[in-house]
Amino acid sequence: MAFDVSLEMTDSGIAKITLSGELDASVASMFKNKVEEAASLQAKRLVLLMQDLEYMSSAGLRALVFAKQKMGADVDIYVVGAQESVMETIQMTGFHHSIVALDSYDSDQIENI
Amino acid sequence: MGPLIVPGTLDSLSVIGKYIMDIAAKAGLDKKAAYRLRLAVDEIATNIVIHGYDEANRQGDLELRTELNEADLTIFLEDTGASYTPGQFSDRTDLHLPLEERQIGGLGVYLAMQGVDKFHYEHFEGRNRHTFVVNRTPT
Repeated sequence: MAFDVSLEMTDSGIAKITLSGELDASVASMFKNKVEEAASLQAKRLVLLMQDLEYMSSAGLRALVFAKQKMGADVDIYVVGAQESVMETIQMTGFHHSIVALDSYDSDQIENI
Repeated sequence: MGPLIVPGTLDSLSVIGKYIMDIAAKAGLDKKAAYRLRLAVDEIATNIVIHGYDEANRQGDLELRTELNEADLTIFLEDTGASYTPGQFSDRTDLHLPLEERQIGGLGVYLAMQGVDKFHYEHFEGRNRHTFVVNRTPT
């Protein structure tokens, strides 16, 4: 399935990026561009909605490193609804220590700034 | 399944992914093992395109062959790009570090090595060959 990515900014400064399809190195720049856009809009939190993301290689992980470095260490990254295999990759590489993983979108937790 | 020969560009990654998932299904790998194998091959193919071809100002193909027997499924991935030593990236010592303090490189080879039962690299006669072996029955 083709990769797709979209960004939505809330009034309270939460950047929601929805990812779907297959994220490999050929499309990772699309994800990176959205991260950059969110950073330029001074996002206070980054929420990645991954329910429909079927595949992610380390190119996707590198975009997460880029996000942390671009937005600052104090901007929390939430990963919502990641599929089992995608989550396994996040855990194998130790990235789960640097993000907050949620099964579903929890507005109380995410939007409580 | 017959071999697959595609240009050594990032646009070939999705075709390679489909090829691997098809052979994984034929070998009867479960969903998790199939995903890991696809990830392993994808990561190495990505490295070949970026480091072996693009950064070395070279052009060439990615050639995939498979061997299926009772015990295991083997994928051979060959290219004519610049050679490198995958082992130099395999010992990740920064996996515990927060993201903002990490080096960016090497994650792909790490995932490739973790994702299959055997991983092997050799360089001969101007060609690089990566071999991925997955057991057909979980060990």
